[in-house]
Amino acid sequence: MSGGYKQQPGSEGNTTRKDGKRIAGKQSFPPPGSGGSRPIMAERDLQYIPEMAGGREKQPAGSHVHDSVRTGTAVGKSMKYVDSNAKVTGQAWYGDDVRLPNECIAKILRSPHHYAKIISIDTSKVEALPGVLAVATGKDSPNSFGVLPVTKDEHAMAVEKVRHVGDLVACVAAVDEATALHALSLFEVEYEELEPIFDPKKGLEDVDEPIHWRGKYHLAMTNVQKRVFQEFGDRSLIEKPSASNHNKWTMKGVHHGFTEPHAVVAHWDPNGRLQLYTPTQVPHYTHRALSTVLEVPMHQINVVRTFVGGGFGGKSDPFPHEMCAALLSRKCGRPVRITFDREEVYMINRGRHPSHIEVKMSADDQARITGFDIDALIDGGAFASFGHVTSYYNGVLATAPYELGSFHYTGARVWTNKPASGAMRGHGAVNTRCAVEVGLDQMAEDLSVDPIDLRLANLLPPHSKTISGFRITSNGMREALEKVRERSDWDNKFRQLPLGKGIGIGCGFFISGSGLPIHWDPNKFPHATVHIQVDMDGGVTVHSGAAEIGQGSTTAVAQVVAEVLALPIEMIHVRSHESDTSPVDLGSYSSRVTFMNANAAIRAAIGIRDKLLNAAWEMIGYHPDLLVLNDRRIYYKHDPSIGVSYLKALHKAQEDKGALISSGAYRSPPMGGVHKGAAAGLAPAYSFSAYVAETDVDIETGKIKCTNVWAAHDCGKALNPLAVKGQIIGSCHMGLGQVISEEMVYGRTGHLQNANLLEYKIPSVHEMPHVEPIIVESCDPEGPFGAKEAGEGPLLPILPAVVNSVYDAIGIRINDLPLTPDTVFFAIEKKMKALSIGDALELECPRLTHSAMQQVVVDRAAQHKVRDIARQRSDDTSPYVNGVLFGFDPNIPLEDQVEGWRAATEPLPEQLAELGFAGRAWLKKEQRQMGGEN
Amino acid sequence: MLMPPFTLHHPTSVEQACEIALQLMEDGQQFDWVAGGTDLIPNYKWHINTKPHVISLAKIEGANVISATEIGCMARLSDLTEANGAHPLIAEAASKVATSLIRRNATLGGNLCLDTRCFWFNQGEDWRRSIDWCLKADCGTGADCRVIPNQNTLCVATYQGDLAPNLMVLEAVVHIVGPSGEKQVPIGNFYQLDGKKKNILEAGEFLLKVTLPEESQQRTGCYQKLRVRDSWDFPEAGIAASWIAGDEKSLLIASTALESIPKMHDEQVSEVLEEGWTGAESVKSLSEAIQKSINPVNNTTLSTRYRKKMVRVLTKRAIEGFLR
Repeated sequence: MSGGYKQQPGSEGNTTRKDGKRIAGKQSFPPPGSGGSRPIMAERDLQYIPEMAGGREKQPAGSHVHDSVRTGTAVGKSMKYVDSNAKVTGQAWYGDDVRLPNECIAKILRSPHHYAKIISIDTSKVEALPGVLAVATGKDSPNSFGVLPVTKDEHAMAVEKVRHVGDLVACVAAVDEATALHALSLFEVEYEELEPIFDPKKGLEDVDEPIHWRGKYHLAMTNVQKRVFQEFGDRSLIEKPSASNHNKWTMKGVHHGFTEPHAVVAHWDPNGRLQLYTPTQVPHYTHRALSTVLEVPMHQINVVRTFVGGGFGGKSDPFPHEMCAALLSRKCGRPVRITFDREEVYMINRGRHPSHIEVKMSADDQARITGFDIDALIDGGAFASFGHVTSYYNGVLATAPYELGSFHYTGARVWTNKPASGAMRGHGAVNTRCAVEVGLDQMAEDLSVDPIDLRLANLLPPHSKTISGFRITSNGMREALEKVRERSDWDNKFRQLPLGKGIGIGCGFFISGSGLPIHWDPNKFPHATVHIQVDMDGGVTVHSGAAEIGQGSTTAVAQVVAEVLALPIEMIHVRSHESDTSPVDLGSYSSRVTFMNANAAIRAAIGIRDKLLNAAWEMIGYHPDLLVLNDRRIYYKHDPSIGVSYLKALHKAQEDKGALISSGAYRSPPMGGVHKGAAAGLAPAYSFSAYVAETDVDIETGKIKCTNVWAAHDCGKALNPLAVKGQIIGSCHMGLGQVISEEMVYGRTGHLQNANLLEYKIPSVHEMPHVEPIIVESCDPEGPFGAKEAGEGPLLPILPAVVNSVYDAIGIRINDLPLTPDTVFFAIEKKMKALSIGDALELECPRLTHSAMQQVVVDRAAQHKVRDIARQRSDDTSPYVNGVLFGFDPNIPLEDQVEGWRAATEPLPEQLAELGFAGRAWLKKEQRQMGGEN
Repeated sequence: MLMPPFTLHHPTSVEQACEIALQLMEDGQQFDWVAGGTDLIPNYKWHINTKPHVISLAKIEGANVISATEIGCMARLSDLTEANGAHPLIAEAASKVATSLIRRNATLGGNLCLDTRCFWFNQGEDWRRSIDWCLKADCGTGADCRVIPNQNTLCVATYQGDLAPNLMVLEAVVHIVGPSGEKQVPIGNFYQLDGKKKNILEAGEFLLKVTLPEESQQRTGCYQKLRVRDSWDFPEAGIAASWIAGDEKSLLIASTALESIPKMHDEQVSEVLEEGWTGAESVKSLSEAIQKSINPVNNTTLSTRYRKKMVRVLTKRAIEGFLR
């Protein structure tokens, strides 16, 4: 009994002669690329092959376009990251690990002033210092750059003026660090100080010298960088609400706190090409920016992405220090290395915007949500970064997962003289989502219904459109809510726990990749391209631009290729480090990488697969439709003994051609409305999450301890469940920090006071709750094997879940984050005073007695569940738009059937009377409207 | 982040340490003592009041002794956490300092002589230059204090050591060594205002060890530490209390992280005892009295008003910790 199907060609039969000598031409060990230590083909792993493709994996959403290429090899299986050995043995090379021969060290001179004009910079003493190799100032870099083409407001070093303490003024490269540091003290800079602003509300006012100038679009003489207005729906629905609430939130700025500080090595090679080594999330955008700043064509620059010790949006911009290193290296002809101290990491910032968020919401007598009115003023700091997009996300990402009668959003981002805010994990959606979810908790309380039931009765179904025109496809929100309700024993705990103990629910909704690219040049360029190359050894090289930042993109790409080709993952080699050999991928931000790169990788792998199947057809006579790929072998599906090894088929395919090449690209389908800003928030798919958190509050000290979290996240399909669970737990930690202790503290002089990891309070392991991650799989029709994002979405729900659990514990609503012990304590003290209670232990925590409305929402939720299952399975493919719940016909444009239906991106004059903070930006006129600049 | 260069000395005996100190003083050279380095090194990396010489106590024979009655300056906090003969209250307090990794380097002497802290002071050099320095690190400019403005004579940096109040309620005695000889001082008298002076050590002197009276072994105690996270953080307020079981007249209470020096609260205790001990009511009066006796300033993480209010809760919990 041979025991299975052999892999290696040519090893049939004996390799030794009777006299013990080796038969000429026969190897006694397997040829390269063959079975290696596993010479027998493994059984097909039917648990990981969909039912519709002949396996046993259940498909509650019906068939998926990728079913036919599932082989049960890698998808859906928990595995360690392919680069984890390098990391745990300390051999991974991060930005600061790059050591080129003859390198020198550079340091940056930073502004001591919040806001000042640079009158002069005298570098003579610096240049005279022995050991100094090159010096550069703003004069060496007049071209501006920025991550978004619409807001290129940064320079390598300040030109004309500095805009925050820590802003780059000059840089110097020297033979060693000590010389470079000493050289910094020899710069003589003359400044003329200007009046700085720190309060974002001041950013709405006219000043003598705005921090940046937008030319004819500049709003009067303010520091408003961007203003947004969006209004959709039937505003009459919010009149005479059955319940409504109005809350104003203040969220402090937070920082990503990644372990690896920024670093860069720049080197102009002997052919005059720039090699830039940097731990970046966005090699392509950095590539473009370098070309602009250095005035060198992109094809003369190679961006090398090192290992990245954490990004989270803090490394997703092209940075001035990268430009400085390149400039200095060009001047002195040696590789230049810059490594940041932790303080400099805070100076470059790009953390979450400090925000003032105002939310009004209303519900009608059917407990339908008739309106969300949101006003978000966000503090952008000194530069735009991703802020143009953040200004939209603070509003538009609240248009789901609930069906709304109307939606109104005013947003504004202002410049202040502080380190710039950027796109931190969850980008713009986190703060508003927290305010909205807590508002829903309050709404449920006012209606005397369970907050989970209220949500279940108001969800948009799968395959629908939001009020703002976003296309929702797969939607696992309902399943996520039901699962956490059950796992947490919600029904026996909510509003029933003793004083000081509470349970709360929070939900999240996030994009899985921004639908439109931020650069339109060249037009119709794919969002991700992957090339696969297979040479005679059988190993598969995958060239991908996907930036591995610790989120596991390299592993995800390897997994999908291994799946399509039915090869062990050790045979897949992903090369994604340098722009010279990696096809362009737009970058690791907006949670796009798995969706877009894995899709491109699957397409490329299918190209190779087709070539292999055609070769096998020639060899064994059966058409590819009748062939199965499984564990390095291709065989006739009705008789596995009729087949060839992968290697044999490969060599056949390579006859006359040599190494095989295949290219796959992904571009999201056209979608969305045509109103101004319609693109912001569009995505080919969205993730949905629901978390329940249990929290203890020490009623005497105000200290919060989150004890348990049940975290359900709809990621479409978990390509690697271990990775998804890791992202859920990690997101809980990062989001929890924003709730209980993290804050960038700006003191009375405007300085950032806690630019270090002792005073910036990231939760320790003692603060972490026990997290039970629950994976929900709604199987997205366009996602790679059904997958959607799991990198940012999982962060959103933890904030409202914990905040709502605190209310359940102590009966006090606090609209400020973080909920540090003193904040909570003073809120408790205030309530005690109002109720004339002397001992905190006498406070009452909230209780719930269901009203008649409870049955209304339970019944509607049950109906909607039937509706949603049918839509998920594509049994019901009728159109569904936001508004059907209110009786509108999805087949007729809403503005044609509803009188007074609004779809506006500018306020009406009568709306200018009552505006929130951000709305006040609409009181100002643009320069061109004032007869100013044209 | 590079420390400025300095010469590190490694005496192996108390005598040798004093010799080196004397020699440096005669040469007009400034120096710092270093034990575990967990306080000194971060400040040196930020170029805060660095000196050209540093004398390490790490190699001094016998400096790491731990017993019920004697603890050397080089006794590591991780060893104290495991008691190894030391009083359980000391083990409890040591276990609450920083993190397990830091405790392996940190020492008793270093924690007792912890430099006072303030967020205008504990910052990098560029940051402090940007605010034009401050009284405690003026770089020769005579800069004003940034907490109590418009004056440069009183420094209000906060003392944030955890062990001091616990040793105070165990009636420890501090042994000081220097070029002019040895002296012993009850730990209650070791600390001295202001935030710059910190303690009674004069130039060239260092804390060699603490000794504890035999009676301290009869005491039971509790240490309540207020901090944001249950690891890493310095105390925002700390109350240590001890008594000899059943005898409320033996009650001793001390506080830390509320002023520039840790304080004993004998006065407040005796006032309450005079009125007659009534259990819970007396605990309440005592906590309120202690709360009134301290005046924190705004130079730590949490709000001053909050830290002051928490003194009452911490005192109540410290005493309730052993009163049953």
